[in-house]
Amino acid sequence: MATDSAAAAAAAAAAAVSDDFAIGCFLSIQTTFGDEFEAQVVAFDAPSNILVLQEGSKAGSRRNLRLLKADYIKHFTFLRHGEDPLDLSKCYIDLDTVRAREQSALRQAEAGAERIGVGVTSEAQSIFDALSKTLPVRWDKSIIVVLNEVRVSSPYVPESVSGGTSIANERVKKVLELERKKLQVRPTQ
Amino acid sequence: MNFQQLAHPKSAANGIGRRKSEREGGMKMDNRLHSGKSGISKTGSIGSMPDSKVGGNLSPSHDRLVYFLTRLIGHHVEVQVKNGSIYSGIYHAANVNKDMGIILKMARMIKDGSVQLHRANTESLNKAFAKTFVIPAKELVQVIAKDFSLAGDGLSNELQLEKRQEILIDSCISQARHVDPERELKPWIPDEDDPQRPELENVFDIPSDRGWDQFEVNETLFGVKSTYDEDLYTTKLERGPQMRELERVAGRIAREIEGEETQDLHLAEERGVRFHDSFNIDEETRFSSVCRGGVVDDSGYVEEEDILLDSWNTETFGSAPASIMIGSLDGTDTDATQASARSSSTDGPETSHSSVGVDLSQIGADDAGRLSSELTCKSVLASGDDNRVQERSLSEQRGHTELDDAGKLPPAKDTRISKAEGKSGSSHKGGILAKAAAPASSTVALTDHNKMNSRGDLLETPTLAKSGETQSVDSHGRPGSSTSSASDRLGAASAPTGARLTPSSSVGSLSSEKSNLNPHAKEFKLNPNAKSFVPSQTPVRPVSPAGDGSFYYPANMPGVHPMHNMPVGVGMGGPFVGHQPLIFNAQVPPGQSPQTYLHPNGPHYGQHMLVAHPRQLPYMPGFPPDMPYKGRDY
Repeated sequence: MATDSAAAAAAAAAAAVSDDFAIGCFLSIQTTFGDEFEAQVVAFDAPSNILVLQEGSKAGSRRNLRLLKADYIKHFTFLRHGEDPLDLSKCYIDLDTVRAREQSALRQAEAGAERIGVGVTSEAQSIFDALSKTLPVRWDKSIIVVLNEVRVSSPYVPESVSGGTSIANERVKKVLELERKKLQVRPTQ
Repeated sequence: MNFQQLAHPKSAANGIGRRKSEREGGMKMDNRLHSGKSGISKTGSIGSMPDSKVGGNLSPSHDRLVYFLTRLIGHHVEVQVKNGSIYSGIYHAANVNKDMGIILKMARMIKDGSVQLHRANTESLNKAFAKTFVIPAKELVQVIAKDFSLAGDGLSNELQLEKRQEILIDSCISQARHVDPERELKPWIPDEDDPQRPELENVFDIPSDRGWDQFEVNETLFGVKSTYDEDLYTTKLERGPQMRELERVAGRIAREIEGEETQDLHLAEERGVRFHDSFNIDEETRFSSVCRGGVVDDSGYVEEEDILLDSWNTETFGSAPASIMIGSLDGTDTDATQASARSSSTDGPETSHSSVGVDLSQIGADDAGRLSSELTCKSVLASGDDNRVQERSLSEQRGHTELDDAGKLPPAKDTRISKAEGKSGSSHKGGILAKAAAPASSTVALTDHNKMNSRGDLLETPTLAKSGETQSVDSHGRPGSSTSSASDRLGAASAPTGARLTPSSSVGSLSSEKSNLNPHAKEFKLNPNAKSFVPSQTPVRPVSPAGDGSFYYPANMPGVHPMHNMPVGVGMGGPFVGHQPLIFNAQVPPGQSPQTYLHPNGPHYGQHMLVAHPRQLPYMPGFPPDMPYKGRDY
């Protein structure tokens, strides 16, 4: 692996010098981790050896931006030349927008963070998500707390439901059962 | 921002070329970027690269990188590090001076590189979120930002996009709780490598390269000949030497139109004009609701109708309508409301040209022997209040009629007034008259009045009309609100117009003005002793066959059974409405004014009765045979 990356780095450096990383080129790249993809070069920064690539077809629906450190390119193939996808005359950035976007993303992430249990399996997370559709739920370490009184601990089966009034308890058990059934139908991830 | 964890000693080392802004979180990159890519000093970075060939590219490339990094701020990214682990978080900042290190916010590991990947993921545990997560350059392998649009320019539209995404619509809420687990997608590998098989992915990718013409292929493969002719579907474009010229002109016009300043929110949005400075305007207003504007559109609409009908009228009647109206108005009932009611019957911009003519004749016919000059005029004036026409430019004229109200109306004024009234009284008709009058007086449109010979008696009034018209021209300024009371306008209008109005007291004096009207028209002589029209209890004419069952009347109104013959235009009655009082009053105690259609019918008639409005037209044809206007004598 080390030699691979060293070799890759050398190759990449050579490529950089030889202008193979010209902007607009379409390359097929395989990284040292085994990722393979095709992308178009959008920018290349030699001192940091960072290659900025744009993946995805012209359809525009799945365009990803990838910043790859050229050191980790195992090997690449030059596919063809292309035009610079960036229109230099339109490159303006409004910092306020940028800040606002970040703020909004942070807000959303923080809101979402509440819903993610730490140190729980994804199955548990699915159950939590399913329950949260109809009941107020929150995490308490790895225990799902429903309606603030009923607790569901691992392994999140109807038997592991405890606490709360009998009515609430029954209700949670029922919902849990149904959600589990639904989850079983879906392929587990 | 928490920078204690910043493990980037090298960024502190550099001097000139260092990106201070990047170190501090990338927020200050603006000054560099805004000043243009060329403005950035690259001495520090360039110095490290001896190769001049690359060095030439370096500056702009570096700028590009910086540009992307700035655009990325706030995006969700996945970062892979040296040991294979992948972290997901919100991109916050990067330092790309010598090497690229990244700072993420709200990051967590989503794939552990140190764990064997073959193991089923059911065992993998959610990791905690790190508020701030620094990935040093040494560790960084790649950064992936999904759904990143290259073309977006980071300007305000994106901000709005973000804002919109924050709005919790139902699907957002339910989805958030139920994240479908995404599978790792693997690229499809064809079973047997068939070199002849066209690359499925790239069929639409590079259209220019491939030169694929589906019609050609179809023809060769299947012998299908295309019979498509573009001209069948669109106007043939003359591609001649003038093409460029035309194209240019068309382009210019298009640009002009598109670049037009508009107050309309929706148009502005379409043209990309940032019409609103703040985002306080809610989405409904911005995107979906109809702009009602600050001014009541009724007037504008009616004005359109006025203009339209006006032109028609001018063609066929010249200024005659004015005279007709004058005459008819004079013949109007003593009861002002009735008169106004009748005139308002002419309201309704939907009435066709013919109906206008019919109306005229009808009204003219009514005049016969029922002249009650000032009284009529005045009453009409006063009652005009509920007429939609109030807001017409004619208000001005009314203004001065009102001004002179109290009985000292000179006959000339009367006629003028009545004319004005006639105009204003009859909704759009009034408008038409005004307009007709205006051009009539100002131009030579009066020549057409000969066609109105049948109405010769009243043609004397055109002279008056003319003088009155001049005022109408001036007064044509449109009052903004349709709800202001007539009296207000009258008061306001009277002052300026009073000056112009010469209180000549005889028709004769006015008629001495140069006029293009029918010289043979009989001079209008006011007959103060004429019997005022009082609607009789019984209908003067039989109910039109179009009446009875054809009108909609709501089931919940059993009490107004007799009314269902009524045309229901509340204030919008078509020309036939003039007919209305006759039948109407059959049910109504005498003296009660039908002016407000509402109250004889009772308040429960309400708005929904307007449904019958469209029925007006068929109702009308009954008129002319019954009420032919044949040059009445006064």
